[in-house]
Amino acid sequence: MPKPSKKTTKQKHVSAPAIAVSGISVVFDGHQVLDNVTLKIPSGSFSAIIGPNGSGKSTLIKVITGLIKPMAGQVRVLGRHLHDVRHAIGYVPQKFDFDRNFPITVEEFLNLAVHKHVLKGQIESIVEDVGLSDAILEQPLGVLSGGQLQRVLIAQALLKQPSILILDEPASGVDITGEEQLMSLFSRLVDEQGTTIVLVSHDISSVAKNVDQVICLNKKLVCAGSPSKTLSKKQLKQLFGEHKELYHHHH
Amino acid sequence: MDIFIEMIQFPFMQRAFIAGALLGLLLSTLGVIATLRKMSFFGEGIAHASLAGIAIALLAGFAPLPVAIVWAVLIATGIFLLERYTKLPSDSLIGIFFTGSMALGVVLMQFTGGYQPELISFLFGSILTVTQMDLYIIGALTVAILTWFIASRRQLVFLALSPDSAQVSGVAVHRQLFIFYIALAIATVLGVKLLGIVLISALIILPAATSSLLSHSFKSYLILAVIVSEVTILLGLTLSYFFDLPSGASIVILGTLLFFLSLITQRFVQK
Repeated sequence: MPKPSKKTTKQKHVSAPAIAVSGISVVFDGHQVLDNVTLKIPSGSFSAIIGPNGSGKSTLIKVITGLIKPMAGQVRVLGRHLHDVRHAIGYVPQKFDFDRNFPITVEEFLNLAVHKHVLKGQIESIVEDVGLSDAILEQPLGVLSGGQLQRVLIAQALLKQPSILILDEPASGVDITGEEQLMSLFSRLVDEQGTTIVLVSHDISSVAKNVDQVICLNKKLVCAGSPSKTLSKKQLKQLFGEHKELYHHHH
Repeated sequence: MDIFIEMIQFPFMQRAFIAGALLGLLLSTLGVIATLRKMSFFGEGIAHASLAGIAIALLAGFAPLPVAIVWAVLIATGIFLLERYTKLPSDSLIGIFFTGSMALGVVLMQFTGGYQPELISFLFGSILTVTQMDLYIIGALTVAILTWFIASRRQLVFLALSPDSAQVSGVAVHRQLFIFYIALAIATVLGVKLLGIVLISALIILPAATSSLLSHSFKSYLILAVIVSEVTILLGLTLSYFFDLPSGASIVILGTLLFFLSLITQRFVQK
């Protein structure tokens, strides 16, 4: 992975927002899924969207990536219309439903997301970054475990060298050590390459430890800011109800 | 050997072999994507729906093939638009167009009167009816469609695997899918000349299904599907000549045998 000069936090936050969402509302079959959501995600930041099940987290991600058209509101990515900057976005979906009999190797799958020929060495380096061995490249995609598939999806998104990486529950199916490894990779991408990372997560303790902005969503924007500001007992109670509080993993 | 030389000296057999080789390449290539997208029924639907186009051509006194192609493109467009803008499943929509258009064809045929050899050849296919003009049309459209396919293959595979991820990656999913529907509809109608409305979908399904049993990568899947398709068509045509059998049915029976042979081979190799 190329290592450009390290950006300082100060430099990161003076540029235009990577993602600006204003007045987004989404209604499915008469049910309000998102209600007038407005937020900004600074360039080069590591943000997490949290909220209870059905709070519209995945829908918001799909609106940002253009998979769902909102009923109202607009999305600007890097100050431009999404259509003009698709190449700058890497996306890892929450579920990747596909026919397990689809005859395609991992290497062929990784190459699908890029529009030019990618050197094998570059692919091997990214596969290693996500914690996989390069022996996996020749394997059929359909035989991978859930955790391996999740890492391959992340590798595919990274191969585009995106300036914005959006991940919907990237650690699902990945064990706790693997999750820490992935979070550390995301932090490195932010620090060393200035990549903007936005992820949906249910793991509040991991979010508290790694990200620099938390977006609390429950159909509406409940709160947004640093983990210390947004992950207080009071805020979590407001977002999730009585029983949610910060849990620290012990290893 | 003499009988083989005699066979390839007949102009109608030469045209049949050239048309067969071109259509084998075209239909198997599109068939791999159609099978991966679970669109096997699409070819069946388009082929049967094209009967109305053939009936319109016969009534108006036009050449059936170009009119059937235009009609198939209209049907494919209708299926694509209704799939996109309604919540109805694809197989229901194909079924509606398939039966509706075929019924229209049957009604229109009532007005043509008399015996229609063109109609019979379209229903069951006939190598005798492949004209020089048909060859030009098949050749030109095969080159055009395969050029687009080669340029778009990565995008087509991506959208067959995961349309959402493909869209976010910048693939113009709806545009590519629409072109694919049109290309598959045209290829199906071109193949109707050789195999007939009743059997043509076999050339979309069988090579891809046979190849998928023996392939782990997309590259081998595509190459093997084309080889299976070419062997099936060219050997099927030869056998139909030697044993005086219907060409379309011979090709499909051979393709089916190859499929089961691959299935047994796969089971044997796995053990």
